[in-house]
Amino acid sequence: MDRLTVKPRSAAEPYQDLIKQHGSPLLILDCDQLAKQYHQLRQALPGVTLYYAIKSLPHPAAVQTLDSLGAGFDIATSGEIELLWDQRARPRHTIHTHPIKRDDDIRDALRFGCTTFVIDNIYELEKFINYRHRVGLLIRVSFPNPDTPIDLSRKFGCKPDEVEILLNKASALGLHVKGLSFHAGSQCPDASNHVHAIEQCRHIIESHFNSTGKLLSILDIGGGFPVEYVGKAVTTETFCRPIREALAKLPDHVHVIAEPGRFLSAPAMTSISSVMGKAHRGDSIWYYLDDGVYGSYSGQIFDHATYPLTIFSDYQQQESAVIAGPTCDSIDVIAEDLNIPPMTIGDLVVGHQMGAYTSATATDFNLFKRAKIVVINQKPSDKAADNTVAFI
Amino acid sequence: MKTYTETLYDSYGQEFRVDKLYFENKTEHQHLVIFENAKFGRVMALDGIIQTTQADEFIYHEMLSHVPVLAHGKAKHVLIVGGGDGGMLREVCKHQAVENITQVEIDDQVIEMCKQYLPEHSAGAYDDPRVNIVIDDGAHFVNTTDLRFDVIISDSTDPIGPGGALFTSDFYADCKKCLNPGGIMVTQNGVAFMQLDEVVTTNKRLQPNFKDHTFYSAAVPTYIGGIMTFAWGSDDAKARSLPLETIKHRYNTSGIKTRYYNPAIHLASFALPQYILEAIES
Repeated sequence: MDRLTVKPRSAAEPYQDLIKQHGSPLLILDCDQLAKQYHQLRQALPGVTLYYAIKSLPHPAAVQTLDSLGAGFDIATSGEIELLWDQRARPRHTIHTHPIKRDDDIRDALRFGCTTFVIDNIYELEKFINYRHRVGLLIRVSFPNPDTPIDLSRKFGCKPDEVEILLNKASALGLHVKGLSFHAGSQCPDASNHVHAIEQCRHIIESHFNSTGKLLSILDIGGGFPVEYVGKAVTTETFCRPIREALAKLPDHVHVIAEPGRFLSAPAMTSISSVMGKAHRGDSIWYYLDDGVYGSYSGQIFDHATYPLTIFSDYQQQESAVIAGPTCDSIDVIAEDLNIPPMTIGDLVVGHQMGAYTSATATDFNLFKRAKIVVINQKPSDKAADNTVAFI
Repeated sequence: MKTYTETLYDSYGQEFRVDKLYFENKTEHQHLVIFENAKFGRVMALDGIIQTTQADEFIYHEMLSHVPVLAHGKAKHVLIVGGGDGGMLREVCKHQAVENITQVEIDDQVIEMCKQYLPEHSAGAYDDPRVNIVIDDGAHFVNTTDLRFDVIISDSTDPIGPGGALFTSDFYADCKKCLNPGGIMVTQNGVAFMQLDEVVTTNKRLQPNFKDHTFYSAAVPTYIGGIMTFAWGSDDAKARSLPLETIKHRYNTSGIKTRYYNPAIHLASFALPQYILEAIES
């Protein structure tokens, strides 16, 4: 997608209607789009069970929509568990993936009914001694990949040659390790990291079986499936084909799961904000929106994302312009070095692909009110209507 | 169709059809449901774990009450720790020779809720004039009370949950202190096949406190995974190996009606499978 698209003013009408109804700024969460992404990834990775990484967009409607489609959930905190509670998600369809946990985090997850946990070191393994009859563990492995600029092995994950040590220790402690997990990265340009990691995990799974006769029956291939922001991204099919081929070589008993977050949520949300002021500064005209990098555009800071924008103007001339957020901080700039037709105060700016790591990482800086999330195309839930017990 | 899936274990579990939901309470600290199931009647589950069902609770409650009471033979003062559903109280109340029963429950709301939704568990036992209900932490109670008992029954949740303090050496030592000479303490101790080390741990903790300690067992269908063990501690080593005739006589004299317990089961329940014996002895 282009960084900025100019559309005729008449094209702004549906957005204006929403702003009139709900105020500005807004984030529009489209549950149909969420479902579409889910089906697309299911199709590209047949046989792979998808656990939505709710950290990317921890919204009740997103949870309800994906739960009704049969998705599981990747949770990392007790706060995220509360969200699943409220939506009555099925505990058996959840995995707790934070490699570092407090005892209370483990207890909260067990109380909820989640019994799958991820560990990547001995200290973390030992935290499960008291719960050894109740849990099944995944060992998170990281694969240093010299070809990528980002060192994925830095914060979490054990080295491949440490897996056996952890497996032996777990066995000695009476803890059940049921599989491996890895994270190839986020918004990966291609699947080479995934393929490399799958192959390495296959070797570990096979050699563990050959030496001990024990099965590692789950492989969690994490997330990293890219969406299109500014520029061109590979298609889901192109990205997933080599992953499918690598997965096909796994022993038959291995069940593969994945933790897509961004892929599902990013295209599902659209930002609408309003020009609340403008000023001529130097050679440029500055437009100040009522949402910025401390709000819905926080992903530009934390997630290194650049969102495709749409503005609405019938003017032909182009001016050098900057689009900035509303806070007092000078870092709060959404886009600069633009050449765009003039906008007037009250005009709308629409940001696309803004579902993942946007509202999730927004702050309350300046006590500027966060964008309101408006949900569209949500299917009524049988469960909510029933007001009945969880675990359907 | 609605189902309730127990999440006690990661790779194994039981599932119930929910025919009717009677009660659900979700707080920050616990999630409690009571529902109807065609096979098991009213089922109560806490935090993903089945606590009791109308259909099979008699096995658990009869075995954890009548075995120590009849083995003792002259129990007049009985303490129940936990047991908020009232099933244990109902069984102990059947013994007319028992003069007073103290039940220490940490949460009075549990009692009220169970009276309302599981009325057949207590079956009116809370109205028995011999009953004294104390709302307190069981571990704190046995640590501080001056009362003495002939039989102490610990009817707790599992050691990972809120009942953790009722599986400690301190608790067993305090129970011992609260027993009259010849007294007997029994506790629910989990399903040994699934959690063998609970037997091992409890065994180690009982050892310094009781001259005689062992386990006995019964299979309770919804405590899945085989036989449930009950820990047994007493300074009277003869109490658990009385002649069948003695137990029969006491049973018949007591006049109690039971559905699982009988004198032959009483004696047989102390026979432990080899895997448990080896775990204890190792």
